[in-house]
Amino acid sequence: MYQTVLNLAVVGYVCATGLALAHLVQRQEALHRFASLATLAGWAGHTIALVVLVVEAGRPPLGSLPESLSVAVWVVVLLVMLVERQSGLDVLGAFVLPVALLLILKASTASPAALAPALGSAWVWVHIALALIGIAAFVLNFAGALMYLLQERQLKGRRPGALYHRLPSLETLDHLAYRTLALGFPFLTTGLILGAVWARSSWGSVFAFDPLALLSFVAWAIYAGTLAGRAAAGWHGRRAAYFAIVGFATLVVTLGAGLFLPGRHGS
Amino acid sequence: MPLFVAGLSHRNAAVGLREQLAVEEDKLRELLGDVQGAGVLEEALILSTCNRVEVYGVAEVPGEARAVAFRHLCRQRGVDPAAVEALLYTHLDADAVRHAFRVAASLDSMLVGEPQILGQVKDAFALAQSCETVGPALHGLFSRAFAVAKKVRTETEIARYAVSVSYAAVELAKKIFARLDGKAVLLVGAGKMSELAARHLVAQGAFPIYVANRTWARAQELARALAGTAVPWDELSTALSTVDIVIASTGAPAPVITRDTVQQVMRGRRTAPLFFIDIAVPRDVDPGVNTLADVYCYNVDDLKQLIDANLRERAREAQRAEALVEREVARFVERQGDVAIVPTIVSLRARLEDIRAAEVRRTLARLGDVPPETRAAIDAMSAAIVNKILHAPITKLRESARAGAGHSWLAMVHELFGLGRKS
Repeated sequence: MYQTVLNLAVVGYVCATGLALAHLVQRQEALHRFASLATLAGWAGHTIALVVLVVEAGRPPLGSLPESLSVAVWVVVLLVMLVERQSGLDVLGAFVLPVALLLILKASTASPAALAPALGSAWVWVHIALALIGIAAFVLNFAGALMYLLQERQLKGRRPGALYHRLPSLETLDHLAYRTLALGFPFLTTGLILGAVWARSSWGSVFAFDPLALLSFVAWAIYAGTLAGRAAAGWHGRRAAYFAIVGFATLVVTLGAGLFLPGRHGS
Repeated sequence: MPLFVAGLSHRNAAVGLREQLAVEEDKLRELLGDVQGAGVLEEALILSTCNRVEVYGVAEVPGEARAVAFRHLCRQRGVDPAAVEALLYTHLDADAVRHAFRVAASLDSMLVGEPQILGQVKDAFALAQSCETVGPALHGLFSRAFAVAKKVRTETEIARYAVSVSYAAVELAKKIFARLDGKAVLLVGAGKMSELAARHLVAQGAFPIYVANRTWARAQELARALAGTAVPWDELSTALSTVDIVIASTGAPAPVITRDTVQQVMRGRRTAPLFFIDIAVPRDVDPGVNTLADVYCYNVDDLKQLIDANLRERAREAQRAEALVEREVARFVERQGDVAIVPTIVSLRARLEDIRAAEVRRTLARLGDVPPETRAAIDAMSAAIVNKILHAPITKLRESARAGAGHSWLAMVHELFGLGRKS
């Protein structure tokens, strides 16, 4: 049942992604309206799917990495809708939805895994929930950085093309990247600390035999460095954007490691 | 009665002739009065701008009305009517509607998408209204044309992109800074162009404005005009460190702002970008500054490139706008057709109903005492016959009106059924 409803939601997301990209190219207001509707429909379906999962399984919808990814995408889409509404950044969807779509496709096609034995402790649930809210914010951070670099290239090149008109100002984009970084970082930090504390108390070691745990601390370090640079050294713009992209790439590798390599987070 | 537009525009008439024919407002009133007085135009509106002179009207014989209108116009302006007559274009009915919509939506403008034309059409309409030469047809046409123009403006991006140097500079500034209010502007050199660009920035909320110029008096003069502050020439680099946007336009033979200076300035600024608009030829700002982080430098050629690209965007958007106008024309003509034929249909029905009722009365009187069911049956049968007979002609009327050819059919129906005559 969960899988069926989730598939319907994925169909909604596919439509939303297509329409958002078409809007980026075609620049027709109607396309953006349809894209927003498709996004909302997909997200509503996704919400129902998650509720169904909770009711059917009688536990939070975070029992495996694919399930957690699904929740992360749910948060990402929610954030996209909120930011678009609040700041009128109508091209955000075109940059975030493709990433979200890839994640949800991965999540929805993974075979259901047996519940990890570690999931007996409530702290583990909190660890997962916090970490993935952080990841969701970093998806937007990545999109903001990518848009910044594209717009900066257009402006520096002095031969602005079609994207120049579509993308908002550099200041707006840099601000978006900063805000999403500041939002995601505390969640990721707390999530990782909980995970580490729990791992130490039950396995006696923080990183023991687990590639995901190891890599996620690398990603965390990159984000920590960027945030410190922004807050203390006035980092901004291109440099901060490069770091955001490296950070996100590490995050993707981290999740990939969790999905494909054996370890305690394994699917 | 046919709707028509006749005139000439930048498309077919040289600027000299257009200038000669352009009419100012009080003369236009006179002219409208004369044209109306000639008695061949039912309704009339004259649009006179530096790019077009056009008469919109309703007349039984559009060719005659056009000749009368332009004879009056040429006489008033002292132009040879023969030279004008040879250039005039005329559009009728649906084509006239399309023309009016395209003109109001700035699709027929020399610079497609320029915003002034809609105001000019509105003025012409208001003037014709005050001269009482606007009737239901022109009123319907132009109120729809204004709505279509607005729709084109909001649903396409035809007028969104800057096509002048000073607006292109403002557009760029808006892609660097989230908002322009509170952004400080420094003018280096006090040319007319930089003043214009500065005014556009001020209109967007840019503040404060500084002016640096080699001639102190000129700096003060321009600073006063822009409600800004004059800065001594040798404090240029100090001023640079406090502003966000620099407009340079001195006549200096070599760059007055070097890469080294800007590099120094940027060191003290940390995060705020610096945007140079260099409209001087030869250039005032060392082009190397563009390689510095957070510095953006556009010279006149760059701005022109941007404008060319924007013009191409406009051309693409214009195609979308044309499609939108085409849909609106079809809708308008259809609705007009319905409006035109409704009175005819009503009187046609009324006429046949009169005949039917009278004949039924006569027949019933002759039959004497008949049961009520028989009366009802006779009544129903006669009504059915009338409806069946009317069905085909009314359908034909609707169709031809929607196709924009209602006039001849309406006249025929009036003639055939003797409508509009007291009987």
